[in-house]
Amino acid sequence: MDANLPAAAASFPWLSLIVLLPTAAALLMPLLPGDGSDPRAPRTLALAVLAADFVLMLVAFSRHYDPALADLQLVERVSWVPAIGLEWSLAADGLSAPLVVLSGLVTLLTAAASWNISRKNRLYFALLLVQASAQALVFLSHDFLLFFLAWELELVPVYLLIAIWGGKQRQYAATKFILYTATASLLILVSGLALAFNGPFTFNLSELAARSPGGTFGLLCYLGFLIGFGVKLPMFPLHTWLPDAHGEANAAVSMLLAGVLLKMGGYALLRFNVQLLPEAHVQLAPALMVLGIVNIVYGALNALAQDNVKRRIACSSVSHMGFVLLGIGAIDALGVSGAMLQMISHGLIAAAMFFVTGVFYERTETLSIPNMGGLAKALPITFAFFLASSLASLALPGMSGFVSEITVFLGVTANDAFTVGFRVITIVLAAIGLVLTPVYLLSLCRRVFFGPRIPALAVTGDMKPRELLIGLTLLVPTLAIGFWPRLAIDFYEASTDALALQLGIG
Amino acid sequence: MPSAAEVAWLIPVLPLLGAVITGLGLISFNRTVNRLRKPVAVLLISCVGAAAVLSYAVLAEQLAGAPPTEVLFTWASAGNFSLPMGFRVDALAAVMLALVTTIALLVMVYSDGYMAHDKGYVRFFTYLALFSSSMLGLVISPNLLEIYVFWELVGMCSYLLVGFWYDRDGAANAAQKAFVTNRVGDFGLLLGILGLFWATGSFDFETIGSGLQNAVSSGVVPGWAAVALCLFVFMGPMAKSAQFPLHVWLPDAMEGPTPISALIHAATMVAAGVFLVARLQPLYAPFPQVQATVAVIGAITLVLGASIALTQMDLKKGLAYSTVSQLGYMMLAMGCGAPVAGMFHLVTHAFFKAMLFLGSGSVIHAMEEVVGHEPVLAQDMRLMGGLRKHMPITASTFFIGCVAISGIPPLAGFWSKDEILGVAFGRFPLLWVAGFVTAGLTAFYMFRLYFLTFEGPFRGGDKAMAAQLLAAAGKGAPEHNDHGHHADHPHESGWQMAMPLVVLAVPSVLIGLLGVPWNSRFGLLLDPHEAIEAAQHFSWGEFLPLAGASVGISITGITVAVLAYALHKLDLGTAVAGRFPALNAFLANKWYLDAINDKLFVQGSRKLAKQVLDVDSKVVDGVVNLTGLLTLGSGEGLKYFNTGRAQFYALIVFGGVIALVVLFGSLG
Repeated sequence: MDANLPAAAASFPWLSLIVLLPTAAALLMPLLPGDGSDPRAPRTLALAVLAADFVLMLVAFSRHYDPALADLQLVERVSWVPAIGLEWSLAADGLSAPLVVLSGLVTLLTAAASWNISRKNRLYFALLLVQASAQALVFLSHDFLLFFLAWELELVPVYLLIAIWGGKQRQYAATKFILYTATASLLILVSGLALAFNGPFTFNLSELAARSPGGTFGLLCYLGFLIGFGVKLPMFPLHTWLPDAHGEANAAVSMLLAGVLLKMGGYALLRFNVQLLPEAHVQLAPALMVLGIVNIVYGALNALAQDNVKRRIACSSVSHMGFVLLGIGAIDALGVSGAMLQMISHGLIAAAMFFVTGVFYERTETLSIPNMGGLAKALPITFAFFLASSLASLALPGMSGFVSEITVFLGVTANDAFTVGFRVITIVLAAIGLVLTPVYLLSLCRRVFFGPRIPALAVTGDMKPRELLIGLTLLVPTLAIGFWPRLAIDFYEASTDALALQLGIG
Repeated sequence: MPSAAEVAWLIPVLPLLGAVITGLGLISFNRTVNRLRKPVAVLLISCVGAAAVLSYAVLAEQLAGAPPTEVLFTWASAGNFSLPMGFRVDALAAVMLALVTTIALLVMVYSDGYMAHDKGYVRFFTYLALFSSSMLGLVISPNLLEIYVFWELVGMCSYLLVGFWYDRDGAANAAQKAFVTNRVGDFGLLLGILGLFWATGSFDFETIGSGLQNAVSSGVVPGWAAVALCLFVFMGPMAKSAQFPLHVWLPDAMEGPTPISALIHAATMVAAGVFLVARLQPLYAPFPQVQATVAVIGAITLVLGASIALTQMDLKKGLAYSTVSQLGYMMLAMGCGAPVAGMFHLVTHAFFKAMLFLGSGSVIHAMEEVVGHEPVLAQDMRLMGGLRKHMPITASTFFIGCVAISGIPPLAGFWSKDEILGVAFGRFPLLWVAGFVTAGLTAFYMFRLYFLTFEGPFRGGDKAMAAQLLAAAGKGAPEHNDHGHHADHPHESGWQMAMPLVVLAVPSVLIGLLGVPWNSRFGLLLDPHEAIEAAQHFSWGEFLPLAGASVGISITGITVAVLAYALHKLDLGTAVAGRFPALNAFLANKWYLDAINDKLFVQGSRKLAKQVLDVDSKVVDGVVNLTGLLTLGSGEGLKYFNTGRAQFYALIVFGGVIALVVLFGSLG
C-alpha cells in the first residue's frame, strides 16, 4: 500500500515527537503543585516544553530533511483506526516545514508573552500546549481524516483561550469564532469525504492527489474547501470574526491567531485546493485573485476606519492575507512562492505587532486610539518596536513583507496565462493597497505614539529584557529574510516550484 | 589589491554597520548608549568618513577613465525566474557617491554642534548613518528593482528624521505626509517597474531601454502603453524630487531638524528623483512625449516653488520652496534631453543649498537662545534682522549662497542654471521663458531672505510680534521654565557648525568652473562624446546674449530686493500685495494645493473608509451570520448564542463533527 509514497519512511519518528510532546506535557499540568494563582510552575513547564519542541523542529528540519527535494520527507505511516480508514500518517515537505517552524516559534513566544496571566494558569498553559500539538498536526498530517481531526481539535483551545481570558465581549467573540470555523468545517469535511469516496476509498493525500478529479465534481469540492479554509485565512466576506476575535483575545492569543491560525487557511488552500484539485484551481484562479484584491483593498479601508488598535491590526491582517490569495491565484512559481513567503512573513510581523500592542496595553489599559497619544515619550523602546513592526507590515524593503509582496506582484505580472488587461487591473488595484497600508499604519503610530503626552495616560516602565527578547526574536528573522530572502525561500522553493509545475505553469 | 570600484559595496555597508551597532545598543542598553555621545559620533563619522575616502577613490578611477564596474548576484528566485542584485559603479554613480559622502560627513560634524543639547543625539546620529547607507546604496544600484528598495529606505529614513521630535504634532503630521505622498509616487514607480518587466523581462537600465524600443517597434507593446509605463515610472521621481503636484510634502518636512533639511531635503534624497531620471535616459530618450511631459512638469514646479517662496516668512520654508523650484530646473533639463546639465545643477545646488540650510540652522540655533525653542518664533524672519553683526561667518556664507543660487558669475549656480536655460531655449522656448523669469524671482526671494534675516535692526525683542505669531499658529505662550532667561541677542555658532559652512562655501563659489561650456570637465566625465561636441560648437556669440540676459534678470531681481528690504524705497506690501490681493492670497495659500489635498484625499479616504466599515459591520457581517445560522438550520444555535452558554454549544459542534466522522468512517 506504500507504492504511492514518494519518499522513504523516516528512521526515527521526528514528526510524531514534535506533534505529541506538547500534549504529553499538557497532561502533567494538573499534577503541578499550587492552586493555579501562581503562574511560575505552569509557565516554566510550558516554556521548557515548547522550547524543546522548537529545538526538535530545528534539528529535524536541518539535519534530517533536505530542502532541495520537493518530495515528502520524514514520512511516518501507521494504520490507526482501520475501521474508518484513519491512519497516523505524517510527512513534511516545503509547504509544511517552514510553517511548522514558524508556528513553533510563535507559540513559544506566545507562552513567553503570557508571563502575567493571573487566572487559571494551569489550564491556560495546558491549552497552549494542546494547541501547539494540534497545529503541528494540521501542518504535518498526510491523511485527510487526521488533518480534519487536528483542524477541529485546534478550535477548542483557541475558543477557550478567547472565551476565558479575553476582554469584555469575549463570549460574543469566542462564539462567533467557533460558529464560523465549525460551520466551515462541515464544508471541509463534506468535500474531503466526497474526494475520499470518489474511487477506491482512501484518505491518503498523495493517493487523492494522484486522482485529481476535474469537472463539476472537482469544482464543487474545490468550492467547499475554499469556503472552509477561506474562513480561517480569512477571506472576504468570511472575515468578520477576525476583528472581533482579535479585539477581545489577549495579546498573546492574538499572536497565536495571527501568527499560526491564519496560516492554516493559506496552507490548507495550497495543500488541498491547489495540490488535490489542480484542474479546478486553474479554472477558478482568476476568482481567487479577485477575492485577493478585495481582501487587500477592503481590509485596508476597514483598517483605516477602526478606532481600536487591535481591531485595526486585525483588519490589516485581512489585507495582508489578500496577498496570499493573490499569489495562490497567480498559479506560477513566483506567485506560489510569494504566497508562501507572505505567510511566513505575516506570521512574524503580525505576531510582533500584536505582541508590542500587548506590551503597551499592559501599561495603558486602553486600546482606543482616540484616547491615546504621546506614548513615545514615556515608552521610547516600545515605540521603536511598534514602529519597526509597522514599517515591516507596510512592506518596507529590507523586511520580509517587501520580498513576499513584490514576488506576488511579479508572479501576477509574469504569468501569460491571464490576459494583459486582467493583470493590469489586478496589479493596479493591489498596488492601491500599498498606498493605503502606510495611511492606516502610520496614522495609528502617529495617534498612539507621536504628539505631546496625554496627562490621563500615566504610563511608566518601558520594555523589560524579557519583552525585548520576544520582540527581537520576531523582528530579527523579519529583517534577515528581508535582506537575504534565500534564507526562507530555499526552505520551500523546491516544493512550490513542483506545485507550479504540476499546474502546468513553471 | 582590488580597485576601489570592486569594493564599492563597502561604501553603503560601512555606515550600515555603524548604524546597526548603535541601533542595537540603543534598543538593548538605552541609557548607557545614550550617554556615549562622543564615542558614537566618532564611530559613525568614521564610518561615513571611510565611505567618503572610498568614494573619492572610485571617483578618481572614473576620472582616470576606468570602465564601469558591475557585480551581480542572485537575490531571490522562483521557478526559472531569478532576481539579480548587486552594484554598479560608473561615472554617474561615482559623482553621486562623492557628493553624498561629502555632504553627509559635513552635516554629521555640524550636527554635533546643532544637536548638542538634544536628548536624542545618539538616535539622531544613528538615523543619519542609516540614511547615508541607504542613499549610497541607491546611487550604486544596478537595476530598477534595487533602486526601488533603496528608494523606499531613504523614504523611511526621511520619515524617521522628519518625525525626529516625535512629541511635536507638526513633526508627526509632516512625517506621515512625507511617507504617504512618497508612497503615492512609489505606487506609480512600482507599476512602471512591473510593466517594464512585463514588456522587456528585465530590470536593468540598459536592457529595459533597448528592450522597450524593440517591443514597440515589433508591435508587441503599443506605443501609448510604452509612454504610459515611462510616465508611471516617472511618478516615483515626481514624489521624491518634489515635482508638482506631489511636492506638497517637502515644505512640511522642514519640521525635521535643520541638518536633515540640508542633507536629505535639499542636497541628496530629493535629488534622487533627478538622478533616477538621468539613469533612465536610455528609456526616456526615444519618447518625445515623455520628455516633453518631464520638461513641462519641471517648468511648472520651478515656477510654483519660486512664486510661493516670494511670500514665505519662515526662513526654512522659504528655502524649502526654493529647493522645490531648483529641483524643477533639474527636471526641466532632464526633459530637454540634457541629463548632464541637470546633473551638473544637482551637484552645484547640493553644495550651495546645503550651505544655505546649514546657515539657516545656525541662525535658528542662535535665535532659540533669544526667543526660545518654539519653531514658530525661532524660524520667523519677522523676529530676525541684523544678525550679520552677531554672526559674521553665517551671514557671509549665506550671502555667498544667495549670490550662487541667483546665478551671478562666476559662482556655481550661474554655470549650471545657464546651461539648463541654454538647452531649454533650443528645445522648448516657452519653457525657457518660465525658467528665465523664475531666475529673476529666485534672485529676488533669496536676497529678500538675506536682508530680512541679516540686515536692518534686530527684531528679536518684539514681544507683541511674538505673541501675534503664536496666536496665528494657534499656540499658547511657550513655557519659559525650560530656559529661565533668554539672551538678548544671538551669538555665532561654535566651530562644529561654522566649519562646514566655510567648507561648503568653497565649492559653492568654485565648482561651477568645472562645467564651463567651452571646456566642461563635468561633461567629459559623464558624457565625453557630447561634451567634446559641445565644446567644438561653442561660440561666444551664442553664449553671451543668453548668459547676459540671465545675469541681467538676476540683477533686476536683486535690485528689487535691495530697494524693498535694504533701502526701504519700495513698499511691496502696498505696491503688489495690496493691488493684487487675489494673487497674494493665492501665493500665501501655496496655490491652495494643501487645501485641495486635504479635502479630496485625506477627508475623502477617511469618509470612504468609514462607509466601508459600516457596510462591513452591518451588511457583510449580518449576511454571513444569517447564512451561517440558516445553514445550521436550528434555533438552538441562536438560543445558545444569546444565553452565552457557548462552551456547551461548541462542544456539541465538536462532538457532532466527531460523530459524523465516525459515522462516515464506519460506512466506508
